[in-house]
Amino acid sequence: MVLDPAHGGTDSGARGTGGIRESEVVLEFATQVRRALELQGFQVVQTRQDNENPSFDDRSAKANAQRGAIFISLHVSSTGSPGTVRVYVNSELPTRADSSGLIPWERAQAPFLGLSRKLGDQVQTLLAQSFRGSPAAAQAAAIRQLRTTAAPAIAVEISSVSVDNRANLDRMATGVAEAIARGATAFKPSYVVAVTGQGAAQ
Amino acid sequence: MNPRWKVWLIGGLAAAVVVAAIYFPILRRRLQKASNAQQQSEEQARRELTQALAMNPSEPRVRAKLFWASDSGDGTLLPVTAELPLSSDPVLRSKQVLNTLLAGPVDPELRTLPPDAVLLAFYLLPDGTGIADFSEALATSIPSGIQSEQMAVDSIVKTLEANVPQVARLKILIHGQEVETLAGHLDLTGTFTVNTKPVPAQPKPAPAVVAAPAQAAPDAKKLVEAPAKLTPGTTPGKLAQPEHRP
Repeated sequence: MVLDPAHGGTDSGARGTGGIRESEVVLEFATQVRRALELQGFQVVQTRQDNENPSFDDRSAKANAQRGAIFISLHVSSTGSPGTVRVYVNSELPTRADSSGLIPWERAQAPFLGLSRKLGDQVQTLLAQSFRGSPAAAQAAAIRQLRTTAAPAIAVEISSVSVDNRANLDRMATGVAEAIARGATAFKPSYVVAVTGQGAAQ
Repeated sequence: MNPRWKVWLIGGLAAAVVVAAIYFPILRRRLQKASNAQQQSEEQARRELTQALAMNPSEPRVRAKLFWASDSGDGTLLPVTAELPLSSDPVLRSKQVLNTLLAGPVDPELRTLPPDAVLLAFYLLPDGTGIADFSEALATSIPSGIQSEQMAVDSIVKTLEANVPQVARLKILIHGQEVETLAGHLDLTGTFTVNTKPVPAQPKPAPAVVAAPAQAAPDAKKLVEAPAKLTPGTTPGKLAQPEHRP
């Protein structure tokens, strides 16, 4: 399981009027999500542990270097109804493996889109139960981070940095962590990679 | 030097210091004002440049659909119908609808694009690929986040889809440059599907050809025929991949 707290370093991501920074909040959320996943028996790696900012490709590489990884990118938005959480999967990409049978790096997500959608829907359903007003199913968006990831990959976006009190956001961490861990566990049996020659070529 | 001289000298210098202390801040303020004015006039000029292509009232008014945020706050878009004198030329028409979209809805809360963003240019390639070049403000003033960035791109794509059937796909540039993401999330490296069944764009014969001197007639004829080559080909351009379907 690759956990990706988005942004970091000089890139603070979304910033609220009350000084809340996305890059800091997601790092704390990651700690809670990691704990919940480990309780479910997952082995967890993070794309960043601290306030650094690896490139999109470096983050994807963490998942692409392993077999059977699951990639979850954590975000806090500037918009949206406070207290809601949305799951995104990458929008459709043309699948075109080159003659070597390798998946082109820039479209690494293409063969995993079906699995990502399954995982995304599982997690979103659970999130909708805990956080009223959240959508019922995962949505598709052209997300740069997911495109180069050769694994079932989702982005989870929490609303929002615009809350007056940081505690309102922190309170959501347990529910988000629980939904991700339970969703991933429910998804595991359907994670059968049928494609041969896995692994992305850079 | 006698003491009287010294007093005069020190007095004179002190006066000069006082005058400078008063004058320098005024000078600085004046300079600042001047540079602000210049910046503003540049912005103004750019706006005027884009506004110049705005509506021509003599064009027939058509029902245009503009996609702004719905008031539900859940990140969905809602089409607003407006009667606008739109050009039949797809490039001009694209500029007109995108400028209207940038100008924003009646309720500023429902904007999808930052108010200071400007459309710098719009091109339509023969294969139906539209290229929209926005000013840097589109990327820097937009609230960062998957939802807000997707709403911005979606509102652009859906507005073009509803009003300009010749645009098959759209490439978004920021100040003439290809960028990786809009504001940290949304992928701008590929193109976005606009119309899955685009209407072929009718290339206009170049007016310069009509004005060509008589002795250049054979060449001019060739030139008139040349636009035929511009009819959409089936092979997508280099820009067409990877394609995103919002």
